[in-house]
Amino acid sequence: MRFVTVLFSILIFATHVSAAKKQPVDFIRDIKPILSDRCFNCHGPDANNRQADLRLDLKEEALAAITFEGNHVIWAGRANKSELIKRIHSDNPDFKMPPADSKLELTDEEIELLTLWVEQGAQWENHWSFETPKNQTPPKTKNKAWSTNEIDQFILRRIEEAGLTPAKQATPTTLIRRLAFDITGLPPSQDQVKRYSNNPSLDVYNKIVDELLADKHYGERMASTWLDVARYSDTFGYQVDRDRYVWPYRDWVINSFNQNLAYNQFVTEQLAGDLLENATDSQRIATTFNRLHSQKVEGGSVPEEFRTEYVADRTHTFGTAFLGLTLECCRCHDHKYDPFTQKEYYQLFAYFNNIDEAGLYSYFTTSTPTPTLRILSDEQKKQIDVAEQTIAKEVTKLHKLANAANPDFERWLEKREVTSEIIGLDQELTFEDAKTGANKSVEGKVGKGIELTGDDAVGLSVGNYSRNTPFTVSLWFNTPDIKERAVVFHRSRAWTDSASRGYQMLIEEGHISVSLIHFWPGNSIRVRTRKTLAPQQWHHLSMVYDGSSEANGLKIYLNGTPADTEIIKDNLYKNITGSGGDNIAIGQRFRDKGFKQGLIDEFKVFNRQLSALELQHVFDEETLPNTLATRATELNAEQKHELKQYYLDLFDEAYGNQLATLKSAREQRSKLLDGAQEIMVMEEMKTRRKTFLLNRGAYDQPTESVATATPSIFGDSSENGNRLTLAHWVTSPQNPLTARVYVNRIWQMMLGKGLVKTPEDFGSQGAIPTHPKLLDWLSTSFVESGWDTKALIKLIASSSTYRQSSQASADELVTDPENDLLTHANRYQLPAEMLRDNALLVSGLLVDKQGGPSVKPYEVAESFKPVARGKGEQLYRRSLYTYWRRTAPAPVMMTLDAAKREVCSVARERTSNPLHAIVLLNDPQYVEAARKMGENLVKAFGNDHQAAMAKAFEQLTSRVAEDAELAVISISFQQQLAYFKKYPDEANKFLSTGDAPRDMNLPADQVAAMGMVINLLLNYDECVVRQ
Amino acid sequence: MNATTSQQCTGYDSPFGLSRRKVLQSFGMGLGSIALTQMECARMLHARDGILKEVHHQPKAKRVIYLFQSGGPSQLDLFDYRPELEKVHGQQLPDEIRKGQRLTAMSGNQASLPMVKSPFKYSQSGESGQWISEVLPNIANIADDICIVRSMHTEAINHGPAVTHMQTGSQFPGRPSMGAWLDYGLGTENDDLPAFVVLVTKNKGGQPLLTRLWGSGFLPSRFQGTRFRSGQDPVLYLSNPQGLSAEARRQMLDRLKDLHELKLQKQSHPDLESRIAQYELAFRMQQSIPEVTNTADEPEHTFKLYGEAAKNPGSYSANCLLARRLAERGVRFIQLYHPGWDQHGGLVGGLRNQAKETDQASAALVTDLKQRGLLDDTLIIWGGEFGRTNYCQGKLNGENFGRDHHPRCFSLWMAGGGIKGGVTHGETDPLGYNIANNGVHVHDFHATILHLLGIDHERLTYKYQGRRFRLTDVHGEVVSNIIR
Repeated sequence: MRFVTVLFSILIFATHVSAAKKQPVDFIRDIKPILSDRCFNCHGPDANNRQADLRLDLKEEALAAITFEGNHVIWAGRANKSELIKRIHSDNPDFKMPPADSKLELTDEEIELLTLWVEQGAQWENHWSFETPKNQTPPKTKNKAWSTNEIDQFILRRIEEAGLTPAKQATPTTLIRRLAFDITGLPPSQDQVKRYSNNPSLDVYNKIVDELLADKHYGERMASTWLDVARYSDTFGYQVDRDRYVWPYRDWVINSFNQNLAYNQFVTEQLAGDLLENATDSQRIATTFNRLHSQKVEGGSVPEEFRTEYVADRTHTFGTAFLGLTLECCRCHDHKYDPFTQKEYYQLFAYFNNIDEAGLYSYFTTSTPTPTLRILSDEQKKQIDVAEQTIAKEVTKLHKLANAANPDFERWLEKREVTSEIIGLDQELTFEDAKTGANKSVEGKVGKGIELTGDDAVGLSVGNYSRNTPFTVSLWFNTPDIKERAVVFHRSRAWTDSASRGYQMLIEEGHISVSLIHFWPGNSIRVRTRKTLAPQQWHHLSMVYDGSSEANGLKIYLNGTPADTEIIKDNLYKNITGSGGDNIAIGQRFRDKGFKQGLIDEFKVFNRQLSALELQHVFDEETLPNTLATRATELNAEQKHELKQYYLDLFDEAYGNQLATLKSAREQRSKLLDGAQEIMVMEEMKTRRKTFLLNRGAYDQPTESVATATPSIFGDSSENGNRLTLAHWVTSPQNPLTARVYVNRIWQMMLGKGLVKTPEDFGSQGAIPTHPKLLDWLSTSFVESGWDTKALIKLIASSSTYRQSSQASADELVTDPENDLLTHANRYQLPAEMLRDNALLVSGLLVDKQGGPSVKPYEVAESFKPVARGKGEQLYRRSLYTYWRRTAPAPVMMTLDAAKREVCSVARERTSNPLHAIVLLNDPQYVEAARKMGENLVKAFGNDHQAAMAKAFEQLTSRVAEDAELAVISISFQQQLAYFKKYPDEANKFLSTGDAPRDMNLPADQVAAMGMVINLLLNYDECVVRQ
Repeated sequence: MNATTSQQCTGYDSPFGLSRRKVLQSFGMGLGSIALTQMECARMLHARDGILKEVHHQPKAKRVIYLFQSGGPSQLDLFDYRPELEKVHGQQLPDEIRKGQRLTAMSGNQASLPMVKSPFKYSQSGESGQWISEVLPNIANIADDICIVRSMHTEAINHGPAVTHMQTGSQFPGRPSMGAWLDYGLGTENDDLPAFVVLVTKNKGGQPLLTRLWGSGFLPSRFQGTRFRSGQDPVLYLSNPQGLSAEARRQMLDRLKDLHELKLQKQSHPDLESRIAQYELAFRMQQSIPEVTNTADEPEHTFKLYGEAAKNPGSYSANCLLARRLAERGVRFIQLYHPGWDQHGGLVGGLRNQAKETDQASAALVTDLKQRGLLDDTLIIWGGEFGRTNYCQGKLNGENFGRDHHPRCFSLWMAGGGIKGGVTHGETDPLGYNIANNGVHVHDFHATILHLLGIDHERLTYKYQGRRFRLTDVHGEVVSNIIR
């Protein structure tokens, strides 16, 4: 065998080289790929890895008249004076290039090509895809009759140059079937087949193209491709892989395609919909695109490590999806092949690095990772508006009451009682009891206090306040040193493992912070002292909250007076309760840093917001009785003011009622909001997060700080832009890549493979276009059309090129085995979704509902991580809606070559594998479809089995069966009928496959045998192959 | 059939008129085949994709059985005997030992890190006198056949990244697994079975495993591992639908073939030829796979050797036995997973239980292969994704203590396939925290495995996104000291 292979290869290469001799070597086609693949690793864009200070990726350097040990590197026209040529010909291991330790080699043919190229003058061009597409004029062809539109002139020109001819047009039935699957992912209607078969004119054809593009199934077909690009998944991925709520994004994609949203707008909304003026919910949901990467929850993970991965994934997805660039290469070092530096990578990274997100989602709660959008109906929004207005009104009323002249207060002032008791104490720990567990009883501020180990919490039995309940926590505090982080007290289940839901007081780099949190960091309020607290001395601290859910309603009191604080977060919009860990705990939290060797004393929890007077009192234990005992005439203004607040809070009936009214108004808002479904979206942080160049791409090795910018190879970039700036740059008509990359993928969808066969890589190491001018022409026309996807598909579908038969001539298979010239259409098995959707449709089982939550058909129960399957409708929706579990996707879809969707993926593989046959033969979904279709046929045709089979063949292949074919099918039917007649129990078993009810009035053996005919046809080439 | 068409693929092998083996290979059953679409045919012609036409040097192993112990088995309680820990039991981990290493966020914030001795006794086993813990008596019996590597190390500190690193050479998802690389490089020796089979112990809790651990990453999906399930269908939907006999299926397939051939008479399509062969192969797999997975034909002494549990399909013992049957039939890479080695707490009981589930069958597999003369060219690997700390996670009280994840050192053993038996390689410091000498990084481990199979790890590459990738990334040194 090897002999044949070798012989064959030599033949091919011989042709190649002699062809090269005849015609000039083409730099882009013949030379650049060799230089890139074999030389750039050491002599390319990566400065750190560059050898001999030589670059072969830049014309100025490669062709410069510099001498290298006495020779030019490349001397145009003088191969024998060129160092490069000498070295690639050399046998001397010290001299030879590429060197042996690179494990790279040049073939004889490649050496010859390089030599010829230098001899012919070393013509040089910049990398094709980084140059803006030119307006191309369609070339002239000899055959004037074949072309339908400009596409065909480009295609035919090359076919003619190769001395070949295009295939004849596909038969009407084949063509309409191909067209319907390509555009809607479903077979054509019988009416469409009939109309075109009766009158196979371009007019009728184009009308059907329009119908298909207007069909709502078009959006679903397009979405199933785009979801691979968006790495869509209904679960978070990584190990634990919980469900997440993202399907509204999928529906946004379907609707966008159906509405033919211009591609530039489609891109802009996904990248930066949140930044558009008056952004709608729908535009914000589009940005979920950037959050569809895997997310981590595994206990013990370092949050920043994974947050960095998320941003990197967004950056890579952006590169692959829109630009066809392999940006991942320059995360750790300058790109080895393309002119992108590591710094430029982090400048792009910076665009995606500015949302208030956590590195881990919450293990103990189901909170949606921030930033989020609440999914609300218009009615709900209206109710929320009303609730907000009510709160504002009640707050105003409260202030009015507080500021109004109050004769009752004056009366109270006269006959007030002196007390040192503070009302509302829920619990108090004085630590006078020596029972401290692992913690130590030590000298405290007042009598005994406690010294904490940091690993052992002191638990209370109170503290489960909602965000609408005012409360106060006060304590004496003494830290042994300036701690980077320590938990003073908290009311939560855990730190990152529950996204800190609850409230807490922390030491952060010596500062004191207090927070109320639904999901840290994006859904919380936090204030922090500006000063650090001196270690080894006692401080009195109070956390005081007014129930407003606002940062300015959250205060820290230090030694009885308000501390100087700054607001760190001010965006709490959901509940802080319900996560477990319902009571306050002091000094330790699950997987957080405890308050090691910290001292605490006189810990008090109050179920109300203490007034200034009381806050002074909990510090000095004397202010309250002293002030209360002071005669009215001796009170200074401040004291009087403080007494008034004290009075209002505790004794004034109207004020007390108003506080209650306000609380219930806030609770009303909570009722509307706390249950609202949220979805992860993009939302800029107010203060931009700094981005650093990460050494070797590692999260913990930041080096220089970088701002946002687009790569310099594409011209000037405005620094410090945001994602919207980036979206404008990407969708600018001047961007050389965006339109080309997209047009190429649409071409791939319609013709079976791209003009650039590496749709994921338009860089130096990618394939060069088979028809560069056609790609340019399509791209520029596409942009001129207003980025109109439907128009582009129609243009392609109408071309003679698209409409060719897939029958190749023997010659073509030899001279153009990959069908680069498109002398015929490509044949390939339908994608996983279409195979299943077709079976569901023809059997009448398809539930043709659009959108909504993902569904769980039979196969999800068979996946590596099985989940319970659904029932009823869930079993029969289009495959696009099948629940996608990232770490264990639907197993039949995976067997049938669906994309893995771990990362952005722009092309599916096509394999030929016996496992395909096994699932198509035996998967209950297909068997059930077969028996149901069999049943329908027996019901419709009774004993006229021949007619039933003819009908079945037509439904499953879109054409009429030939006699010989029908004869084979008939034999099969008779054989299966004989079998089921002999074993009637088996027929019953066969007919009970799947949930769909069976018609018990029909003869079981006939229905089963007819079902097996369908099983056969569902495996027949013309049913499963797009041809 | 059109003559030219068949020549078209003769560059590689026509599905017809050639050995069944070649045909099988074409369908992803084996060596990276040669799928038969026009595109693929052409790709094969420019055979730069790195599929090895021949191995780089004389291989010592032909196949691998990897007994993956998932969760991070505690090396200090199994293979890495550190008596010094008895002296420092209960004392704080010294800072000069920890050297500021990042700990997991599980114990990283613990205020106290007391070191803890192994609760188990160690003794020297076999003529080689290798130290093995009392919980592994059967593995102790094969001490002279195995090489214990005590100096493995990784960067990963959590299961997901660490297992992914061991299986794919990278902590992050997306790279092909080791079995996929071997399938891609070497192909299969059996026509009717996949080249890379995965067996997971059923009904085990512990850290979840993911399909990507045996995935093909960026390699074509035909190289991904096929997981045999423990139920009726080892391969998804392998059985005929209920009510359909094998004969009825055969008749239906014959008619399908007739129908396809009618089409071929009119037009030649290489891919249609391959489709016909694909259905024939599917039918054969319906026989060959149950044949290998059904162990009813094994004599009673087999079950004595592997343990009664081997009669329970899906148990670790049954999977070890199945691994031997697959190895006998030439399956290239057999990957077992046994989860549950994640003893953050309750280590004494937990570890004993894990050992009990795996000790006898692991040793039996080595013994059995040796008796059958298959050990010489079958490489067996036993090990997890990282080690466990010498200090206690949580509170040190009684037997309820646990150990946290530890990347800096862990132990595994290998046997057969060119590995020296009775050898301990590498050493950790007296406290079992850092490696003292002869460290073996995950990449070195991979380089060594490939070397044993005759592959230069730097030369088995696949070009993806413009770059040549390999299992060992840009690292890896063959550990020659442990090779016979």
